[in-house]
Amino acid sequence: MAIAVPKRRLFGRTRQPGAGREALVGYAFVAVPMAVFVLFFIYPMIYAVYISRFDWGILGPLGKVGWKNYTTLWHDTLFRRAVKNTIEYTVWVVPLQMALGLLLAVIVNQRIRFRTFFRGAFYFPALASSAAITAIAIYLLNVDGLVNKVFGLHKLWFYDPQTALPAITGLNAWTTAGTMMLFYLAALQAIPTDVYEAAAIDGAGPWRQFWKITFPLLKPGHFFVAVVSIIGAMKIFDQAYIVSRGTGGPDYSTYTVVLYIYNTAIKDAQLGLAAAAGVVLFVVIFLFTIVQWAFFGRQEAA
Amino acid sequence: MSEPAAPPFAAVEELAAGEPVAVGSSAPAGIPGRARSERIQRAVAYGAMFGISLLFFVPFLWSLSTSFKPLPETANFSLLPHHWTLAGYRAALGDYNFTRYMGNSAVLAAAVTLTSVFLAAVGGYAFARLRFPGRTILFFLVLGTLMIPDQLRLVPIYRMLTVFPLTHWNLVDTYQGYWAIRMVSATALFLMRQYFLTIPRDLEEAAKLDAAGFFKTFWRVMLPLAGPALAAIAILEFQGTWNDFFWANLLLQSPQHWTLPVGLAQFVFTYRTLWNSLMAATMIALAPVVLVYLVFQRYFVAGVASAGVKG
Repeated sequence: MAIAVPKRRLFGRTRQPGAGREALVGYAFVAVPMAVFVLFFIYPMIYAVYISRFDWGILGPLGKVGWKNYTTLWHDTLFRRAVKNTIEYTVWVVPLQMALGLLLAVIVNQRIRFRTFFRGAFYFPALASSAAITAIAIYLLNVDGLVNKVFGLHKLWFYDPQTALPAITGLNAWTTAGTMMLFYLAALQAIPTDVYEAAAIDGAGPWRQFWKITFPLLKPGHFFVAVVSIIGAMKIFDQAYIVSRGTGGPDYSTYTVVLYIYNTAIKDAQLGLAAAAGVVLFVVIFLFTIVQWAFFGRQEAA
Repeated sequence: MSEPAAPPFAAVEELAAGEPVAVGSSAPAGIPGRARSERIQRAVAYGAMFGISLLFFVPFLWSLSTSFKPLPETANFSLLPHHWTLAGYRAALGDYNFTRYMGNSAVLAAAVTLTSVFLAAVGGYAFARLRFPGRTILFFLVLGTLMIPDQLRLVPIYRMLTVFPLTHWNLVDTYQGYWAIRMVSATALFLMRQYFLTIPRDLEEAAKLDAAGFFKTFWRVMLPLAGPALAAIAILEFQGTWNDFFWANLLLQSPQHWTLPVGLAQFVFTYRTLWNSLMAATMIALAPVVLVYLVFQRYFVAGVASAGVKG
């Protein structure tokens, strides 16, 4: 997809008949969207940094504290717990999403019947809202639920600090696998077929072909999917919130960074501290975004 | 949920359309042993596909079945209800107010989709075709907003909507506030611009000779040609708003303003074990998106893949 930036001077004067009118119409056409982007994206970003430098209560700023909110975060055991949980979740969910996404992509990339149907089936959970998916998970993982019955267990998945976060991990790996499959499919398409023809002539079976050819040649695909998956994982909120009634429980085992931001802002009315946590998360996500754009932006955009 | 996930738009669209795609195992025919290994491979692939698709379908089918069970049956280990009943749906829609939540979701999704499609088309057209000073800078600004995660915007947006700059409106817990922050998305505008760039200029030149104004050219010539892009964006925005939990949960606080996802979450908090009603409500939340998906699968996958991935 080409981001075809016109090769013209930014403020070049074009004195053509009707140019003035064209410019006016241009501004009129972009006015409302630009107002929305500036007011609800650009300004909030700056405003977030501004708020983060204040002790900010429910009624407004209580006093400027400089970077103190950031040092408070550093020493806050709850924030540290949230970071630990979020990292733990990311470390597990990313490889799971990737492996599952790749498996599905390879399967539906075969020349077999009902391919479109299966592709649709695998993508199905990615359609649903996080709330609906979480409701289904809560039902299937309840003590008399399907999962316990199938495996002969009596686990209280979302009530046990040992299993609550892993359950969310599994849930989201399952939900997002379809999306990862789409990205991997696009990467699989990019592999030229003659490589396989040569390998087949050399007598390499499908298993060998996959590990010796497909997997290494998918390197850009792995990288892309990994970054997308990592960024998504660090934003985990909905499922943790719904499963724990917003408490991040049991025993803070599902307390994620975004849940920390939400609770600190809404429940504790410490907007300065919450904004600081938001800025920290943004910086980390931004670094990954930059890496992604550096590797793919140029390639796809130029 | 809009990451700048540089979208493989063309490839994905082709996939969604079910076009024949390059296949990893396509070896030239006539090699000894080829047919047998191919057959084995195919059997394995079919087996794996059916097994895995069960994994993807069973949770939904199980929940669907539960939504038609009477409450005492929900603990039973049976795929089909012994006594089919709509009690779960009646309770969800009547006693637990999901009719209201459904209406709220529909109104908000419709409002957001309409404005987003229109504003993205108008803005995308301007960025693709009209020349005005500062266009490049403004366009980079649009792309830049893709990098700003919702989680950073949570606190400042919440604060802004509590006491809106200059006007001091309180827009928290209003439809207007929710609609305002989602009125148009950078992803939608970007996709529209990209699509307009692919339309040959000759068509507009003809309109210009007719001395049609810029808006008329846009409305009469460009917009009718942009059908597929408009459809993809409409579906993307509809699904995004209908499914949104993050902003709806933050901003729409009083029960009469809840959308389906918020209502579902609150139902889980309060009546967790009324499984048949909970699953009925879940099915109500799923139905429109599934329907749209089945009808417009091709646009759907294209749009979603270009918007990135949800958290």
